[in-house]
Amino acid sequence: MANSYSKSESKKLATWYFTVAAILFGAQLLFGLIAATQYVMPGFLFEILDFSVARMVHINALVVWMVFAMFGSVYWLLPDETGIETVGIGLGKLLFWVFTAAVTVVVLVYLFVQVGPADETSLWFIHEGREYIEAPRWADIGITIVALGFVANLYMTGIKGNRSGIVTVLMADMIAFAGLYLTGMFYTDNISVDQYWWWWVIHLWVEATWEVFVGALAAYGLITMIGAHRKVVEMWLWIEVSMLFGSGILGMGHHYFWIGTPEYWWEIGALFSALEPLPLVAMFIHVLYDWGKMQGEEDAKGLPHTVVNNKPAFTWFIMNALGNFLGAGVWGFFHTMPQVNLYTHGTQFTSAHGHLAFFGAYATILIGMMYLAVQGKNNIKILNHTKSSIWAVSMVVGGVVGMTVALTLAGYSDVIISRAQMGATWAGYFDAQSTTWLVQGLVWRLIMGVITFVGFIFLIKDLLSIGKATHHVR
Amino acid sequence: MAKKSVWSDNRFWQRTAGWVTGFASVLLIWLTFDTSAQISMGTDTDLQNGVTKRVPGPTVINYKIAYEFNKKRQHEIPVIGGMNSEGTSAFQEKEKFFGRDDWSEEEAESLLHLGKLASQTKNCMNCHTLLGNGGYYAPDLTKAWLDPAWGPEGSMQAMTSKETKEEAMAEFLQNPSQYPTHARMMPNLGITAEEAKGLVAFLKHLSSIDTNGFPRNFGKIQGAVNGK
Amino acid sequence: MVDGALMSRDILVDDFLTIFISSTLVLIFGGFYVGIYTAVKVKLLKNWMMPLGYFFWILTAYCLYLMGSLMHVNELTAKALVVAAIGLLLLPHAVYYMQDHVHQENEH
Repeated sequence: MANSYSKSESKKLATWYFTVAAILFGAQLLFGLIAATQYVMPGFLFEILDFSVARMVHINALVVWMVFAMFGSVYWLLPDETGIETVGIGLGKLLFWVFTAAVTVVVLVYLFVQVGPADETSLWFIHEGREYIEAPRWADIGITIVALGFVANLYMTGIKGNRSGIVTVLMADMIAFAGLYLTGMFYTDNISVDQYWWWWVIHLWVEATWEVFVGALAAYGLITMIGAHRKVVEMWLWIEVSMLFGSGILGMGHHYFWIGTPEYWWEIGALFSALEPLPLVAMFIHVLYDWGKMQGEEDAKGLPHTVVNNKPAFTWFIMNALGNFLGAGVWGFFHTMPQVNLYTHGTQFTSAHGHLAFFGAYATILIGMMYLAVQGKNNIKILNHTKSSIWAVSMVVGGVVGMTVALTLAGYSDVIISRAQMGATWAGYFDAQSTTWLVQGLVWRLIMGVITFVGFIFLIKDLLSIGKATHHVR
Repeated sequence: MAKKSVWSDNRFWQRTAGWVTGFASVLLIWLTFDTSAQISMGTDTDLQNGVTKRVPGPTVINYKIAYEFNKKRQHEIPVIGGMNSEGTSAFQEKEKFFGRDDWSEEEAESLLHLGKLASQTKNCMNCHTLLGNGGYYAPDLTKAWLDPAWGPEGSMQAMTSKETKEEAMAEFLQNPSQYPTHARMMPNLGITAEEAKGLVAFLKHLSSIDTNGFPRNFGKIQGAVNGK
Repeated sequence: MVDGALMSRDILVDDFLTIFISSTLVLIFGGFYVGIYTAVKVKLLKNWMMPLGYFFWILTAYCLYLMGSLMHVNELTAKALVVAAIGLLLLPHAVYYMQDHVHQENEH
């Protein structure tokens, strides 16, 4: 096979990307633990590595590991989808090193310089202080170049090879992904304008382009792992794109309730937010439907084994359908209506939603892609679970769900005390922070965070060793 | 083979996806033009002519700012320079800011510029929320300027031994860990006296932005700006 | 489009919990509805389960109503919620119909 691991440079490059992604995932969890500890013990690393720094590394590592894993996923699936080797693989490798080096420098500066004087030089070389896209401007330019190089490789390969529906969707999606980053690069004194465009990056990434990306990965996964019919899956992908972009682009309205923008965003935000869970429900049915159909066909033939040829990856893909629905859907919906969001905006509820949504919608499926890479790399026909893979998925998922529940309980106290009763003042804020529910909630969040981290160690151990286990079908 | 139906035609759904995405994007871009016009920063002339802007000009620091319930809009709105008969800004009543109420447009602009830069370079947003966005480790700063804790009856002026709100805030920002209000303290971020002044101007300006009533009932508790 | 009455009343402190729980259940029950419907259609579940699926949709609609009324939503938002409820009712039917069509065209 022309697209097997040993013959494909694209797949080799994909494993490099996955490796760095996994390391950054570990960094994300580690700095998350530091920040979570500071909630419980405020003196921990005070004025050495403050909460603001720990959280900045936590959320930046999150974004960057996902981008690495997304690039890796594309380089992994391109040879399968197009039937040819990726065009411009040399450029791809060069950009990989550039990207990795840039991220390392950025993180070292975050950790050792931390803050600078209030001038443009700090924005250029230290950080921009804008949540999620703190990267200094030199790195912004670097990231844009790396992203454009990646998009160029994707386009050249898509045009030269057999352009499947999945590749077409990815091509359209990734150009939007790279282009949207540009809207978050400029400086303005007007904070309302600042946050208006800031959401173009954050929202249109995570609630539109990334979701469509996940739709494309799920389509690829269903074809690869359970042999779903390509035509059905690809038609479904187009429906998902319609639903996700149809609700997600104007779903932006729910971020424009309170930042100085006009009142009409209330109505737009409410309407499209109410629609936003529908594609997530639909994606869930789709996975269930295809699995049911394929398993039914297999059962009818009387074959003994399951239809799934990569069990750990498939488990993570199922967790993705479920996690996307729960984290982005359920946890998003209960505080999205403007009437309620007036009280919940900027409380621990947002944090609860953020944790489960990022994990459920993106981390899960990208981990699934890593398992597909392990299977391909070791040339395994049917990859079975190991003890570690089961421990990893149980502890990581259990840990994140536990953190989310703990933060939700803390958030409830936050909303009731600091917002509904005390009117969001300084005193109201600290009154809420001292309530038992909030204090206990944050202790449990830390405990669940530790469980997540232990699960992560199992995950790494498993990714490194599962290929050598002997109970797979080769 | 079953009859071809439009519902199971790939091309049909591909076009649908294109049209839906295109339509939503065009609508978003159109709304962006409208919103951008509405949230552009006002000028000193606007303030002098009594023109209400959602984001007032930097010289708003020369005026008294309050956050009052507006019957027509059914939520609180920033009231600049006292209230007129319609319950909106009268742009009359001035308030001294670091001893002056005649900051020129250029001076106020450069102060706000410094403050906004400091808010980013000092990474405020990874602990505090601004307009409700950011970290949840420290209080929301949207209406911090109007917080009763900094007012004449609040604890912060006495704690920092300063006569005015702006001086108390500037002193706190320069030496935060000397004035703890909670076990969770603000770290020393190397904020200079000038940067602190800029940050306070930034916060005062921030409180004058029309946020559609967020946060609700701000300062409802006793001794509040908008005590009810 | 501007509707000043959108935030006409404060939400009662005692109502918050009901609002959060009902809006959570909207999607949980909604998920059960589409899950049961699809599972019955692909024969993972027996046919008699179908009424149970529709019962979950009724619960979903009730939760939406409860959530909306406690939040004091205005007319336009109320209409949007009704549209969302009907959309959810139709969604699995439409999905199944289309999927089935494509499968038949490709397999026979």
